[in-house]
Amino acid sequence: MNEEELRLHFEELKKELEGKIDDAQLMRELNTYLNEYRVTPEAAKRGIKRKYGADDSSSFMSADVLSKKIGDLKGTELNVDITAKAVYVDKKQITVRGNPKTIVSGILGDETGTAPFTIWEGENVELEKGAVYVFKNSYTKLWNERVQVNLGSRGRVERAEGVRVDVPERVVTSEPTEVKIGDIREGMGDVTVTGRIMSVEERSITVRGESKTVYSGIIADDSGKIQFSAWNDFGLKEGETICAKNSYIRAWKGIPQLNLGDKCEVSRVDDSFGEISTAVSKKTIADIVAMGGGLDLSVTGTVVDLRTGSGLIWRCPHCNRSVLNGECTTHGRVEAVTDLRMKLILDDGSGAISAVVNRQDTERLTGVTLAAAEGLARARGDSEIVAREMAELIIMRRMTLTGNVMSDDFGPMMIVSDAKIEEVDVTAEAEELYSEVEAAL
Amino acid sequence: MNAREMAWRLFSSELNSATYEIKGDGEKSPSYVVTKLGAMVNRVLVAGVLTEKENVGTADEPMWRGRIQDLATGNFFINVGRYQPEAAAAIADIDTPAFVAVVGKVRTYTTDDGKVFVSIRPERIVKITEEIRAQWILDAARSTWIRLNNMKKAASLKEFSQTALVGKGFSERDAKGIITALEQYDLPNSAVYLKSIQTALRTILPEKNIDLGLPEDMSDSPDEIDIETGSAVGNSADVEDIILSLLEELDVDGKGAPRDELERRAESEGISSMELEEVSNTLMDKGLVYEPNLRYLKRI
Repeated sequence: MNEEELRLHFEELKKELEGKIDDAQLMRELNTYLNEYRVTPEAAKRGIKRKYGADDSSSFMSADVLSKKIGDLKGTELNVDITAKAVYVDKKQITVRGNPKTIVSGILGDETGTAPFTIWEGENVELEKGAVYVFKNSYTKLWNERVQVNLGSRGRVERAEGVRVDVPERVVTSEPTEVKIGDIREGMGDVTVTGRIMSVEERSITVRGESKTVYSGIIADDSGKIQFSAWNDFGLKEGETICAKNSYIRAWKGIPQLNLGDKCEVSRVDDSFGEISTAVSKKTIADIVAMGGGLDLSVTGTVVDLRTGSGLIWRCPHCNRSVLNGECTTHGRVEAVTDLRMKLILDDGSGAISAVVNRQDTERLTGVTLAAAEGLARARGDSEIVAREMAELIIMRRMTLTGNVMSDDFGPMMIVSDAKIEEVDVTAEAEELYSEVEAAL
Repeated sequence: MNAREMAWRLFSSELNSATYEIKGDGEKSPSYVVTKLGAMVNRVLVAGVLTEKENVGTADEPMWRGRIQDLATGNFFINVGRYQPEAAAAIADIDTPAFVAVVGKVRTYTTDDGKVFVSIRPERIVKITEEIRAQWILDAARSTWIRLNNMKKAASLKEFSQTALVGKGFSERDAKGIITALEQYDLPNSAVYLKSIQTALRTILPEKNIDLGLPEDMSDSPDEIDIETGSAVGNSADVEDIILSLLEELDVDGKGAPRDELERRAESEGISSMELEEVSNTLMDKGLVYEPNLRYLKRI
């Protein structure tokens, strides 16, 4: 859009914004919206008015505000008022795009349930544990199947004077169920598990400002293994076999973990497992989607896609995170180092999982070395070419991938520790299918 | 959780004869094309020969159409637009004919006279070797066989609901797909899918004399067979009547009808042995027939 056309919109906006923005800045904004991002003039004007607060720009906030109880929240509310007790409060500093930021987080509760909350503009917010507040214009999200309450820049938190909210004690709904470790799923609640301590170590951590010793490690039976944390000293030793009654399952990033807490009773039992293979457990992707995650899992499937962020990438030399245009979100401008990786989608006909393959395995599977990739990118003046070449080499290959799996909103993701291409004996397998079909007819 | 939709391996005969779609409203609730075997298809993985391609858009904004032949007579139809940049760039460089594999989402299109066409919008299209293509045919044949068996198992159950199927060990997705398929299409004509499996096995085992005992002149392309009206085996009640009268006719000595004779006669009526199996199970469940011994079936 040329200067003259911009000028028309400029005049209109200038009138409406009544000096809330200077001329040069307004022109720059218009240029960014219309010429860089190429949005419609209507969208551009709406955006600029919103940003600089013209009087009539509140229209989209009028989207019906609702009051809800915590138990009724769906995790999709865009604008909701919640009156609840601050069960637990924590104010902390985090780093967002290299800038320090103060947030207030914790747990909210009412008679229908509890939910974690985060106040993103927490600089001037002081909440008192046990007091009742109205969280105005908050929005909610679903993470790990739990609703989270968020308060952004247009949200407000006010003390609800004279309002009483009773948060019931957590009800223990069921007797602990006895489960095999391989069958443990996220969200199971209280369980009784028998297994051998494969490893254990003592760690010191800080919980709500208090220092605490936890004993964590790996426990296994003949069906699988799982990470555990013992919050009291049960005197656990490597190699012994225990029955942990009233332990509970919590997931961290979708990986279920066994917790031995205050209610837990630990007894030493006879070991009937014999040789516990430390090998990986073979799963279908549908199994993994249901489990949420786990350690040393193995799946076989077909590579159906290579996601963006694959091929030749750059990493921050300080934190090793991948960076775009030499700018690290935490460390700012850095001298980034090159690396190779693949973010595959593996699909076995029962489900799909993303998998991150490191440089070593990427080089081995594709035959493309980091040096070759750099050379190719330089020669073509385009780093995307590396991922394109890799896609042709890897898509439709059948592979077995092994690694730890965690889940987020986009489903399960495996950090691959071992990858191999599967050769298929099509003739033998086809003959097998033929006899099966023939026998059934 | 917004887990990625898996890619179904199925033949064009199954995909193209699907006419029912569960419409979603975008990202959070995707759309599914439900096939007659109960596959709830959002995404597919297909392979075959790209036989033709045409750019019906412009050089700057290409819109590719193509046809991929999976088995002797079947075709997948693909449409690649500018929102699939990877696939659009790839198809431009592939000369026909070529072995290709496609991962993509399915779309339906309904003509004015109500006929439904299914096409694929590829996210990825890659050239493959003949060997990988054989792998795909095997995968698709196997998964077709599994669906056919699941359908058969489900149809033989007395209680008929999603919950009942889940109780019998079906996954939520399979249970929903099967119930929807049976509601929308009634029982599938298993001969169509067995024919695809037979053609598939013949393609990958050319040396072996594959014969599943299906009529040779039958096509596995839904364009040629109108399953709704054309085939002799329209609905299961008709088939039951045919079988019952055959049983009476063949029971010459009071011992019942010999199985092998029954199978031959049923086949000449256009009822496959698999279907005969299904129907005789249903009749046994209804208490209309019984098996005096393994080789005989008798009316009560």
